[in-house]
Amino acid sequence: MTYEIRDPIHGFIVIGEIERDIINHTEFQRLRRIRQLGFTDMVYPGAMHTRFEHSLGVMHVATKMFEHIIHRRPDYLKDELGFTDSDLERDKRTVRLAALLHDIGHAPFSHATEELMSFDEKTKKVYKHENYSAAIVRYRFGEFINSNPQLTGMGINADYIADFLDGSTELGKSLLWRNLIAGQLDADRADYLLRDSHHIGVAYGHYDLNRILHTLSVATDGDTSSPQVVVMESGRHAAEALILARYMMFTQVYFQHTRRVYDHHIARSIKTLLKQKTGSADTIKNGKFPPPTEECIQEYLDWDDSKVMGLVKGGDAGEHGRILLTRKHYRKVFETPERPEQSDLEDLEMAKQKLSGFTIIVDKAENSWYKYDASDIRIISENYGNTDKLAPLSFLSPVVKGLSAVNQTRLYVPPEKKDDAKRLLMSMNK
Amino acid sequence: MDSDALVPWNRYALITELARRLEHKSPKFGKTALQKMVYFLTELFDIHTGYEFEFYNYGPFSSQLHHDLDLVAYIGGVAVEEYSTEFTGYAISPGKRADALIKKGAEFIQSKEVDDAITRVINEFGGYNASELELRATILFVDRDLAARGKTATKDTIVDIVGKLKPRFTRSDIITAQESMASFAI
Repeated sequence: MTYEIRDPIHGFIVIGEIERDIINHTEFQRLRRIRQLGFTDMVYPGAMHTRFEHSLGVMHVATKMFEHIIHRRPDYLKDELGFTDSDLERDKRTVRLAALLHDIGHAPFSHATEELMSFDEKTKKVYKHENYSAAIVRYRFGEFINSNPQLTGMGINADYIADFLDGSTELGKSLLWRNLIAGQLDADRADYLLRDSHHIGVAYGHYDLNRILHTLSVATDGDTSSPQVVVMESGRHAAEALILARYMMFTQVYFQHTRRVYDHHIARSIKTLLKQKTGSADTIKNGKFPPPTEECIQEYLDWDDSKVMGLVKGGDAGEHGRILLTRKHYRKVFETPERPEQSDLEDLEMAKQKLSGFTIIVDKAENSWYKYDASDIRIISENYGNTDKLAPLSFLSPVVKGLSAVNQTRLYVPPEKKDDAKRLLMSMNK
Repeated sequence: MDSDALVPWNRYALITELARRLEHKSPKFGKTALQKMVYFLTELFDIHTGYEFEFYNYGPFSSQLHHDLDLVAYIGGVAVEEYSTEFTGYAISPGKRADALIKKGAEFIQSKEVDDAITRVINEFGGYNASELELRATILFVDRDLAARGKTATKDTIVDIVGKLKPRFTRSDIITAQESMASFAI
């Protein structure tokens, strides 16, 4: 039995019984209360869409990507990488479920509050939403997945999907498919560029998804002997358009200066709220979300946009909460060029020093989850049977080569201090 | 290191210093070699480089390092030039403003701990090509990944997993590479 869900970007998204049950699960329904782009509606009022519809879209696109690749290179996958038919059947199902669940671990207001995730003593790294997604799959979906004979018959259990989301090397050759969810050419970006553009009402994120799908392939890079997801030469211009879409969406939307400062205001508001709460996790008193452990995961899941906004409206979120209610955000008083020279970076240091008497917010493009980092897509430039010559797109495309990583940094001060700060900074130029 | 610094001069200086010291050592010091050298410094020598690595098909990779290289090249710390021979890619060499940029992170780069670690990394790995570095970095990543997940990382387990991730390498290639890193208890 299959069902169809109407989607504004992809038309109809087809789901099966298992996916329907997952979608109807309480934790998946929570995604209806996690906005895709945080407080972007302060600048673009249409940005009210949620992680719920994006997750469906990623599952749809990841499935198409997988199908196109196995159709294009079945011999390579079997002879070169050792996949069997049953491996591919299992991996297609895994890709669908992992894509559907990849954002299940998002904190309220999505990436805006990722800085509030707690620290993992074992890896010495701050947890990411992917770690929470994996934990939720293990601890909240485990019973459902592990008792489904259709899945277990394929060798899929909750740990397998969680390992896929976590990027465990134990997945061996199947890790190749993780690139469809978290790679340079993944279904996540493929969906959000189109979806965010649609809801916001801009055209910056448009590109030819169908052409990308029809020219997607896998190949072994001779230089590093590594199999990877690539684009055929005939899809080069569609890949260029995808890179341009990423660049334009970053500069015009994701890193728009007012939109960005609201990421800081909401993060500071939630930090204030967390500190007031008591919970089983020690992290809360430090203003961090509980860690993704079996004991703490429910406490984490209790946080969503609705809960936060209820507390903000009740006046519990301090100065930054009031800013969210009144739209009296901090104002930008200094910024470096998108591509700074050494002297620009030295000016930035001097500006921050000049503003040492002010409460400031520093925002760096490199800390943005959506950062435009000029990462490359590999293109098959020549093919000799199972051996391919790959070239970076930036090597083949003058357009992409001309785009550089955005390394801008901005300084913000409270609105009532804007004029004073600007006057002080003017003296730097004298 | 200085991931929270307003301007991460130390990261920029590290990239520049590696380009300077590997210019006549590495067979082709390109983007892959840079990624792997910084990965070894971070994981094998516990240098706080400020970079986090994830596993993509081409092995451990830091998108922040990729991002920084673009800026360091623009500032003039390194020069990144295309080449197309048997393979196609980018070669990294010191840029016109390499000295000025290294000076900005001199305290970090010239500290005994970091200087010694760079010397050792170059001695151990500087002579390998991209494919050999990729294999060794993948072996190390699998070792660390299993440990972080509380799994027992025997030599055989690591060889099996790397063989599945990198099917172009023979079992013998992987064992040889693993043995070359024995002094690091891999």
